[in-house]
Amino acid sequence: MEAARFINQIQIPKNPNRRSSSRPARFIRASSSQEPKSYRGPKPSKNLVADFVSRNDDSVRSLPIYVGGASLLAVLFNRAVSGIAPVADASSSQSRADLLALGLAVTNLLTGLVWLSIRPKTITPVEPQGVDCKVLEPNLPPSILSELLWAWESLKVATCCKSLVIVYNGICLLQIGMAAKSPDVNQAVLVNTAKLMTGSVYRGVFKSKAQSYLANLSLYPGRSELPFLPPNTQAVILQPLGDKGIAVIGGNTIRGFTSSDQASKTFSSCSLEKTNRTSKKSWFAHPCLGMDFFNWGEA
Amino acid sequence: MSVQICNFPLNPRFALRPRSQTAARSTRIFARAENESSRSDQQQLNLSVLRFTFALPYFGKFLKGSEVEKRSLPEEGEQVFVISSSIGDSLKEDLAWATYVLLRNTSTVAVMISIQGELCVRGYWNCPGQMSKAQLHDWFKRKVDEIGLADVKETLYFPQYAGSALSWDILPDGTRSVFVQPLVQNTDESEKMDGFLLVASTAGYAYSDKDRAWIGAMADKFRG
Repeated sequence: MEAARFINQIQIPKNPNRRSSSRPARFIRASSSQEPKSYRGPKPSKNLVADFVSRNDDSVRSLPIYVGGASLLAVLFNRAVSGIAPVADASSSQSRADLLALGLAVTNLLTGLVWLSIRPKTITPVEPQGVDCKVLEPNLPPSILSELLWAWESLKVATCCKSLVIVYNGICLLQIGMAAKSPDVNQAVLVNTAKLMTGSVYRGVFKSKAQSYLANLSLYPGRSELPFLPPNTQAVILQPLGDKGIAVIGGNTIRGFTSSDQASKTFSSCSLEKTNRTSKKSWFAHPCLGMDFFNWGEA
Repeated sequence: MSVQICNFPLNPRFALRPRSQTAARSTRIFARAENESSRSDQQQLNLSVLRFTFALPYFGKFLKGSEVEKRSLPEEGEQVFVISSSIGDSLKEDLAWATYVLLRNTSTVAVMISIQGELCVRGYWNCPGQMSKAQLHDWFKRKVDEIGLADVKETLYFPQYAGSALSWDILPDGTRSVFVQPLVQNTDESEKMDGFLLVASTAGYAYSDKDRAWIGAMADKFRG
């Protein structure tokens, strides 16, 4: 319909020097690919129950206890005032109904207790003590710069990451987010790459060639090797970037990085490492795409 | 004229009954009505508690920490990997990487990324078999045009996608969740890349807030 409307509005102006002909004016046929058609799919509907439960998690967890308790009291009260003999038999229909109601009430009570006992522990994020910093290696190619900044933005949005440091080939390419405050001047503590690379944390990560997740940084003595991070950084991921680099990702919540976050960091490191490498390699031969559990094949 | 005097006592058949009998009878009627009403109230209370008990597992699905439904591979549908041939190698690599990460790191079974009309499609899709890559690409493009996915300006999330009578038959059977992330930042800016990122899963409520934030971050990579 949009294409037809577009066609109706377009008309080639007549050339006054041209001899008039009886042929009608020609219209430009607009290709349907030039203007996207309006979306004709279904619209998502709101699930009020899901929204309510998500927003009031604590209240919903204790709701079965209140309902079960209230129904238990109601059954007992009704039994007391109705004048029925207080015997625990099922001879009358009223007694049988009361027994069923008691069973349901107890089920609700137990469900509420189970929900409360298996509630995930809420860990409050800690505001990092430090200063905001954004230090970029000068003369970085635009492609690498955009890749690094995208990595930071995605980590900031999707995880509890508050600090990011990327060191590659002995050079600190990026230090962004919250950093420790220098005691002398009101500035960020910059990364000392020489000191970092000689530390046990860095060497350990390179020896294992695997990601290292320090879920509660305060428990690790290697904390002193990361002085550029805010002193109250709660969790750190150390991700090797190939054989030449490392990414240090600091978070503000103990155990704040989930397993999917850790996997995402691994994949992001593949992309960063690919960007930083100077040699061109076929992407389909990259180790990141070697693990194909669906056997996707090549395009 | 004669007057007959009745000597036998009066025994009217329609005389009023004694007060005590009447009171007892009305009390019994009232008690029976009261019993019935209290029994009805008790029944309603029992039914309400029963309904609430049956609804508990449904509420429990949305609580934090509840078990996430696992995805399963669709029984029907073709496994494809199609990238438009008219885009550069660097963008091809990025699309291949992004689709791989989405398939690997979320419960996605089908992913489609469109950038200015050029498609990258990967995973299980309900597409005709025995077609070349170029034909498949054109087929997907036609389907996308029919649905009008390129016009989507806000995120669409169907946690319980029930299937529709429209052209979403490209999704494989058993699709339960669909999430569409547009790449258009500002409809007035024509220089920004436009397109969308679509992911589908065979698990219900497959994409949590964190997953959607991560998918949005992936889309930012192509938004420019």
